[in-house]
Amino acid sequence: MRKFFCATLLSLLLIPQLGAQEVDIFGYFEPQFTLIYLDGNYYQLQSNKLRVDLKSNPVENVEFGANFDWIVYHGKRDWNFWDFIPKEVTSSVHPFRRYRYQFTYEDRNFLDNAYLRFSFPSFDLMVGKQQISLGTGYAFNPTDVFNFKDLMDPTYEQPGHNALRIDWPLKDGFSLLALYSPESSWQNSGKLLRLKGRWGHFDFSVIGTETEWTVTDYTYPYYNFITTHQRRMLGGDFAGELLGLGIWAEGAYNFVEESKDFWELVVGSDYTFDSELYLMLELYHHSLAKSDYRQYDLNDWLRFFYQEQKSITRDQLYCFVQYPATDLLKIGGSALVSLSDGSIAFVPTALYSFSENVELTLIGNINVGKEGKAYGNNQGHSLLLRSRVYF
Amino acid sequence: MKFKKYIPFVFFIGCFCMKNASAQVTITADTIIQKVTQVMNPAQSKAKMKMTIMTTSRKTRTFVYQAYSKNHGEKTLMKYLEPSRVKGQAILMLNNADDIWVYFPRTRRVRKLATHAKKQKMEGSDFSYEDMGAGNAFIDEFGSHLLGEGKKEGKLCYKLELKRKPKSSSGYSRLVMWVDREDFIPLVIDYYQDDDSTLLEKQLVLSDIKVVDKIPTPMQMVMFNKLDRTRTDMEFLEVTYKVDLGDDLFTERGMKK
Repeated sequence: MRKFFCATLLSLLLIPQLGAQEVDIFGYFEPQFTLIYLDGNYYQLQSNKLRVDLKSNPVENVEFGANFDWIVYHGKRDWNFWDFIPKEVTSSVHPFRRYRYQFTYEDRNFLDNAYLRFSFPSFDLMVGKQQISLGTGYAFNPTDVFNFKDLMDPTYEQPGHNALRIDWPLKDGFSLLALYSPESSWQNSGKLLRLKGRWGHFDFSVIGTETEWTVTDYTYPYYNFITTHQRRMLGGDFAGELLGLGIWAEGAYNFVEESKDFWELVVGSDYTFDSELYLMLELYHHSLAKSDYRQYDLNDWLRFFYQEQKSITRDQLYCFVQYPATDLLKIGGSALVSLSDGSIAFVPTALYSFSENVELTLIGNINVGKEGKAYGNNQGHSLLLRSRVYF
Repeated sequence: MKFKKYIPFVFFIGCFCMKNASAQVTITADTIIQKVTQVMNPAQSKAKMKMTIMTTSRKTRTFVYQAYSKNHGEKTLMKYLEPSRVKGQAILMLNNADDIWVYFPRTRRVRKLATHAKKQKMEGSDFSYEDMGAGNAFIDEFGSHLLGEGKKEGKLCYKLELKRKPKSSSGYSRLVMWVDREDFIPLVIDYYQDDDSTLLEKQLVLSDIKVVDKIPTPMQMVMFNKLDRTRTDMEFLEVTYKVDLGDDLFTERGMKK
């Protein structure tokens, strides 16, 4: 609470100062209500998020951008990943260890992004906390080693990363991106190099990264054993059109020091029918994930929940459909299908434009798979109602 | 003697009629469409536009955006200024809208759209991406022929029919266009549905024509959706054709700035 007041006070002191330099202040307020059905019980979780963005051009060719987020939670804030893991897996583990996997939705006040962008005639230099968006995939991005998407809501904004970034536009639509995301040493800092180009109606890129990958062994009896590996990724992507269909693909091969190499691939296609019905399909493969659900173990589940690994199931299909029911209401949804274990999660969605700057979103999540599978019904079901007011 | 007095006048009238008759005979649909494309797509332009959508429930949605155009509409960039919900969002159309990219500032993500997305409504308006982007679509996507002449919006107009070419990716089967004979501004365009060339889907009405930088400019454009019974008004808040826009503006880098 003290942090909240400090941040508010700081903002109030800063805003008039910045105002003198024509700072653009905007953002949104987002109250959210989630109803969760788990193991025969209903739970409620509410959150209120206030995001304030600042943008300014203090001098020509220099841009300052930042956003501060305040998020407060109410309702059932304490959860345990243990409750989402199949009983067949947890039954062989001492029950006392369940307390290791608790997590709480703590109120958060943080500087999400704060950057300066210098535009030179031949390149742009961006320093500070900034969003990094990589890849052509919609739900899955194998080349994006910095972020972890929520499959229920893949377009939700990603957090900022501390980085130094240079964008060089080259000739004929080509561009080069170099990014350095500093950590405590050069070795464990993130490095990225990407060449992007255009060929006909296709966009493509080749990308190489070096990052540190943290992998935890959750099966140790008294503590979680954390190891870090140097991870070098070589990948690429493209987006274009074939036979009237939008098509894209994104792949990455990961060379992991002192551990098993792995690769990820996503292939997608979309189409808009004359009725404005929009349909999208994405196929995703993760070679490190397992194809037989009976082999999913405690580490697999927890590494997935703690976002150390992007998928628990090897092959997945993501289907997305959207239809403008009226000019203010879009209905649709997605289906997450594990092709490896046959489980499905349905995510019905509705987006209503209440006014120019107010929108209401409804997102459901119904897991219909057998317990133990990637989208098993033991993981419960949920309904999220989000309103967002932009200012 | 009296007749002699009128000879010069008769001669003048005769010449005028012959000139007009010859214009009527010689001007072809292709020439008219080329002139329309030329008038509607100046070499470069920079404009601030306001788009007001009247929804089915009689609610309005207002958007303000900055639009840049180069190479006679071959390159177009639109950046939303208002409302806050879409502020910073940008749409880049290159190669006469054959290539479309959308930039979402909240996720800093650029997404390439396939041509099928041209059918999608732009921000829920009655304008599709196709309506907004293609500089030479009337020539490249359609074959045209002159139906005749008639009065429209109080002005003498050429009436043209534009039929979709076999390999065209346009979302309309045909267009009927009334073009002002004086300045070649299309005053009314009827858009017929993709799979039914008799079903009128939308009607665009251009009005309040003012000369800006020596170029006649329709300051008001209204798209009526005849099927949904909605309308979208578009108006120029500011416009200039005397600009020198760099190619760098029409890139991913330009979208993000």
